[in-house]
Amino acid sequence: MWALLDPAAHILLMTLIFRAIARAPALGTSFALFFATGYIAFQFYQAMTSYLNSAVRANKALLSYPNVAPIDAIVARFILQVGTTSLVAFIVLGTIVATMRAETNLHWPAILEAVAIACLFGLGAAMINCVLFLRYPLYEQIFTIVNRPLFLISGVFFLPDSIPAPYRDLVLFNPLVHIIMGFRQGFYPEYRATGLDMNYLYGIALLTLFAGMLVFTLSSKTLRNE
Amino acid sequence: MIRFEQATKYARTKGIKKPIIEDASLTFNRGKSVGLLGRNGAGKSTLLRLIAGAIKLDKGRIIRHGKISWPLGFAGSFQSSMTGEQNVRFVARIYGVDTEQLIEYVEDFAELGPFFKAPVGTYSSGMKARLAFGLSMGINFDYYLVDEITAVGDSNFKKKCQAVFETKLKDSDVIMVSHSTSTIRDYCDCGVVLERGELTYYEDVESAIRAHDRNMKGN
Repeated sequence: MWALLDPAAHILLMTLIFRAIARAPALGTSFALFFATGYIAFQFYQAMTSYLNSAVRANKALLSYPNVAPIDAIVARFILQVGTTSLVAFIVLGTIVATMRAETNLHWPAILEAVAIACLFGLGAAMINCVLFLRYPLYEQIFTIVNRPLFLISGVFFLPDSIPAPYRDLVLFNPLVHIIMGFRQGFYPEYRATGLDMNYLYGIALLTLFAGMLVFTLSSKTLRNE
Repeated sequence: MIRFEQATKYARTKGIKKPIIEDASLTFNRGKSVGLLGRNGAGKSTLLRLIAGAIKLDKGRIIRHGKISWPLGFAGSFQSSMTGEQNVRFVARIYGVDTEQLIEYVEDFAELGPFFKAPVGTYSSGMKARLAFGLSMGINFDYYLVDEITAVGDSNFKKKCQAVFETKLKDSDVIMVSHSTSTIRDYCDCGVVLERGELTYYEDVESAIRAHDRNMKGN
C-alpha cells in the first residue's frame, strides 16, 4: 500500500510544483509522465537497496537455524522487491499513459534492460552494504548522508543532456543517470539520450554485483554474527 | 552419533583471540543424553551452535549422523515481525515437515491462545520459550540441542514439557546446557565439562557435576 502511495504522492507533488514554475517538461508534453519515468527508474535501484541493506540484520534470528543462510534473506527480499516495484510501475505508469491524450509508443526492450540493470546494480550495492554496515557502523551513517542527495543528482527531474559541458561529464559518472536515461528512451521514441553509455552502465553494474558477491561470500562469519 | 575430530574454534572480539575448544576429539554416541557444563562465558552456547552447524569450526571437523535440531535458547530463533503461526510455517517448510500438522500441534502445545496469530515481537520471553519448545517437539529430531530453555515457564508448563520430553527421549537424545545441576541430573546420562578450551567427557553425570563443581571452587 505504502509502496504505491509513496511514488504516487512524489510524482503528483513534483508535477504540481513544476507545472506552476515551468511551461513544458524537458521531454514530451506531460509532466506526470516525465517525472514518473524518472522516479520509477530511480526507485528500482533506491527501493531495492534500502530494503536489502538491512536484509541480513532484520532476519538475524532466523540465522540460528543451521539450514538458513544469509544469502537466503537477500534472495527472498530481492524477489519480493522486484515484484513490488514492478507492480507499482505498472499501476503508476499504466494510469498515466492510459489517461494521456497523446498516444505513447512503448519500446519494451529499452525499459526492461534499464530495469534489469537497476535491479542488479541495487543487489550488488546492497550485498556490499549488508557486510559493511555490520562491520563498520560509522559507514552506515556516512552512507545515509551521502545517499540523500542522490535523488537530486540522478536526473529524475532534469535531463543530463541539457546541462552545460564540464558539469555534464560529472553528472554522467553516476550510473543511475544512465539507468534513468535508458528507461526514458523506452517511453519517448524521439529522445536521443546524448551521453548514454550502455557499456559504462553494464561495466559498473556487473562490477558492483561481482564485488557484492565476493564480499558477501568472504564475510560469512560477520554475517552469521560470530 | 556426533563426533568431533581435532575441532578448534576461537572466539574473536576486538583483536582478542580466545579458544573455545582447542584440538578437541570426542564422540557423542546415540542413546545417551549429554549435559554440558562450564563456567559463564566458557562457550557452551557456541558449542551448541557448532554442533547444530549454524557456525563453522576454524580447524578440524564435526561428523554428524542423524537429524539435529537448532539450538533451543533464550535468544530465540524467531523473526519478530512475523506472527507465531508464520514462524511455525517457516520452520515447517525449511525442515520439510507437514505445515498444517505442525501448526496444529504447536498451537495446541504452546497455549498462546489469540497471541499465536500476533507478531512474535509482542511476546514475553516465557511465551517465546513456549513457542520454541512446542515447535521443536513437533518435529522429530534425533538430537535436541537445549540451551537453558527448560527453566522457563510456570510449573504447569514445566510439567508438560517434562512429560513430552520424556516420551521424546525414548528415541531421541538431548544435548543440554544448563546451570541448574538438578535439571542436568533429571535429563542426562553422561556429562561433558568445558573448561579452558578443553572438553572432558564423563561416563556418568554425577562425576561430571563433581568435576564442574571443583572447577568452580578452584577459581
